[in-house]
Amino acid sequence: MEHAYDAVVIGAGNGGLSAAASLAKAGKSVLLVEQHNLPGGFASSFVRGRFEFEPSLHELCDVGPANDPGEVRRLLEQTLGAAIDWLPVPEAYRLITTAEGADNLDVVMPFGVTAFVEKMESYVPGSRKSMERFLSLCESIMAALAYIGASGGKADPKVLMKEHANFLKCGGYSVSRVLKAIRMPKKAQRILLAYWCYTGVSADELNFALFAAMVYKYLTKGAWIPRMRSHELSTALESRVRALGGEIWYNTRAERILMENGRVAGVRTARGDVKTAHVVACCSPNAVFGDMLDAADVPEAQRKMINARRIGARGFVVYLGLNKTADELGLRDYSYFIYETMDTVKEAARADGFNGHPMQATVCLNRANPDCSPKGTCIMSFTTLYNKDVWGGVSPEAYVSKKREVAERMIRDFERQVDVSILPYIEEIEIATPATMARYTLNPEGAMYAYSCGGWDTMLPRLMMLKEDQIVPGIRFAGGYGPRIYGYSSTYLNGELTAKLTLADMKEAAR
Amino acid sequence: MNDFNFHVKPLGFLDMLYFKKMVPARQKALSAGAPDQPTAVCGANRLAARLHPASQQLTISEVVEHGADAKTFVLTIEHPAPFRAGQYLSFRLQIGSSVLTRPYSVSSSPKLAFEGKYAVTIKRQMDGFASQWILDNWKAGDVVTASGPEGTFYYEPLRDAKHVIGLAGGCGITPFLSMAYAIRDGLEDFRLTLLYGSRKECDILYYSELAEIAKATDKVRIVHILSDERKEGYESGFITAERIREAGGGEPYSVFLCGPAAMYAFVDKELEKLKLEKKYIRHELYPAPASPAGLAGYPGGTKERYALTVRCFGETRTVPMRADETVLVALERAGIAVPSRCRGGECGCCRARLVSGEVFLPQLLDHRRMADAAAGYIHPCCSYPLGDLAVEVWPEQS
Repeated sequence: MEHAYDAVVIGAGNGGLSAAASLAKAGKSVLLVEQHNLPGGFASSFVRGRFEFEPSLHELCDVGPANDPGEVRRLLEQTLGAAIDWLPVPEAYRLITTAEGADNLDVVMPFGVTAFVEKMESYVPGSRKSMERFLSLCESIMAALAYIGASGGKADPKVLMKEHANFLKCGGYSVSRVLKAIRMPKKAQRILLAYWCYTGVSADELNFALFAAMVYKYLTKGAWIPRMRSHELSTALESRVRALGGEIWYNTRAERILMENGRVAGVRTARGDVKTAHVVACCSPNAVFGDMLDAADVPEAQRKMINARRIGARGFVVYLGLNKTADELGLRDYSYFIYETMDTVKEAARADGFNGHPMQATVCLNRANPDCSPKGTCIMSFTTLYNKDVWGGVSPEAYVSKKREVAERMIRDFERQVDVSILPYIEEIEIATPATMARYTLNPEGAMYAYSCGGWDTMLPRLMMLKEDQIVPGIRFAGGYGPRIYGYSSTYLNGELTAKLTLADMKEAAR
Repeated sequence: MNDFNFHVKPLGFLDMLYFKKMVPARQKALSAGAPDQPTAVCGANRLAARLHPASQQLTISEVVEHGADAKTFVLTIEHPAPFRAGQYLSFRLQIGSSVLTRPYSVSSSPKLAFEGKYAVTIKRQMDGFASQWILDNWKAGDVVTASGPEGTFYYEPLRDAKHVIGLAGGCGITPFLSMAYAIRDGLEDFRLTLLYGSRKECDILYYSELAEIAKATDKVRIVHILSDERKEGYESGFITAERIREAGGGEPYSVFLCGPAAMYAFVDKELEKLKLEKKYIRHELYPAPASPAGLAGYPGGTKERYALTVRCFGETRTVPMRADETVLVALERAGIAVPSRCRGGECGCCRARLVSGEVFLPQLLDHRRMADAAAGYIHPCCSYPLGDLAVEVWPEQS
């Protein structure tokens, strides 16, 4: 049996799905291979008893309402034609810090620029001016990113200097540095930093342009989730891939990338060899260059590149199906961030290992999706991050009790901080550790956040180095390992970007 | 938003130099990486592979007979995946030209898995295609293929009451035996009262093992109930609400059930009388019945023969299918090794795309994801054809 395709996409995660759909839409023959039996990677769902849980999504940014769509809604619905039933998330977040003293916080922040500034002013009188400065910088950044995006990697330095001077001034700095420069009051900074855990990188290491763009998208477009868990996103895209002529093979692992004369010649799968000259990998470069190619076919520069990069945060999630409603339990909010302090450097360092009170980003799904569980019940998920492979050091013997211990601490911390009772109402519980995520995604160390975007490896230089990052011709990366970094919205956009670059590769090869 | 009157000035002491430095800084950092061959197989990946192997090749090291109709197979492998008492292994079988799977609960202590061993106990089912074949064919020295441990029928202290009343029927004792061992071996900490229903004394599995465990730990108590004979030292009759309430002793308890469909049908009615919250009742899998005849709402016949068009990796073939069997069985008989584990609709492992045609899905067994149901996916293990069908599957081999 001889199979041949214009492109083979390895991995049906968000980036793989959007890349496959984009390539198919451009008229290319595409084979999408996925080792698991369903699409989505992290964007999936699972059923326990009478509950269907969301494995990873808290909220998507850059979706926006139908009459004011963000980039992600535009890509999924207008460009790729996927039909998704979106639900808005009611408020931005409730932020709680647990350390006693002046740093102690318990605030609820809304979406909407004006509402956010007003609320901030009510918590931190005198913060308005700095918030306005922050938002103005956000606008500059959005405008500059739009220009850079439209320039196709050929941004004119003169235009940047002339029209995007503020972006150039702040775009290279860390969040901490810029917030200090615009003289934002300490307390307002702490409240604003709540979303830092969506990157896993402390404010000292986190690039300001990246952070500002994320916050701004949340504030202006709100946050959205699909009604039927993120599996709805994945099945919608999967059916588009097929409708556009793409072929999908589940339960099929890509084992090797076949090379001839330093160029991609095909992919060896458990179902046989597939001819292709173009691979889009929605999986880690570690897997592709470390495990799917012979060392001789991997240039030293490529190996150095991989080893220099830092594996991003690994996730740990507790899923609860509760036999009481959110109202009965007193859960008023959708999204809770609970940190010890808003000293994000300390907080990120605490995530290097096991600690008594892990930070948590907790969701009560019913607050955005009231009918997501049967009448009289609700669904919660508690997420924390690890910045090192500490779960890799847990023995098989200790595994179950360790994950239960961490889960129980997180639930008890939540009960104490929000002053609610949860434990007696657990009807279903599941706990996912980095080992679980490694099982389903094969990401190294079970990483949820691909390669960290901290410090030098942030989005802007990745985008500016698209050409030189491409060392082995014919292999490009989509998903969280792509240039626009990780997170749901970014991975879909990465897939589209990678498809565009691959189409350009095809054109060049034909020349 | 443009009304924010913000000028460059407050940023005066930040300069563009940093922006210009971003690319050189990244170039420098990337070229400073170690030249070693990278890998995606790290600590957590190795742990995942230990906990959830794709498959395990197990050697039958010992066969223990329990009368004429049940055998325990002791299975060895150097590093078995650890399991939680109550979980099952799904075995891959080739019988004639059929390729199929069967889930069997591990009956040994989870502690034994750390010493390289599992045990499964298999009872001959009257019309059981696989159980008959296994009992007649598996022998010491054979190597068999199993999945990693699967299933969610285990005690979880964050969810369940500290006292579990296990309701076991026939061969449904096996997961409870493992739980009892786990308690005795100090791997689990809960009280287990077993109400174990058998037809006759001679049908009781593991009588002496259970008695020994109950002697070794006061956390495990066994009550044998015989339905088809009266005998001294045994209760007689059925597992009733009254017996369960009495076993509970006025304290909170969880009820775990494992047994044949007929037992579930009877006991579920008894449980209704106790008005327990749903969270305190947990069933081991309801296996999909071999035939849909008699299932509530089943609109089809049992004698019809249909055509099943199967698309696998771009190739299409047509195989015969009977109205009184699941789509999974039709695939297996055709030698198409679609993945499957629980065979009761729960695990979703056999997820397949229904391209055309109609199937009957018993509501009790329909655990599909909402988006899958909306997109036309089925779990063939609990889908019965109502006419000719076309499906797309991604088998392990074909």
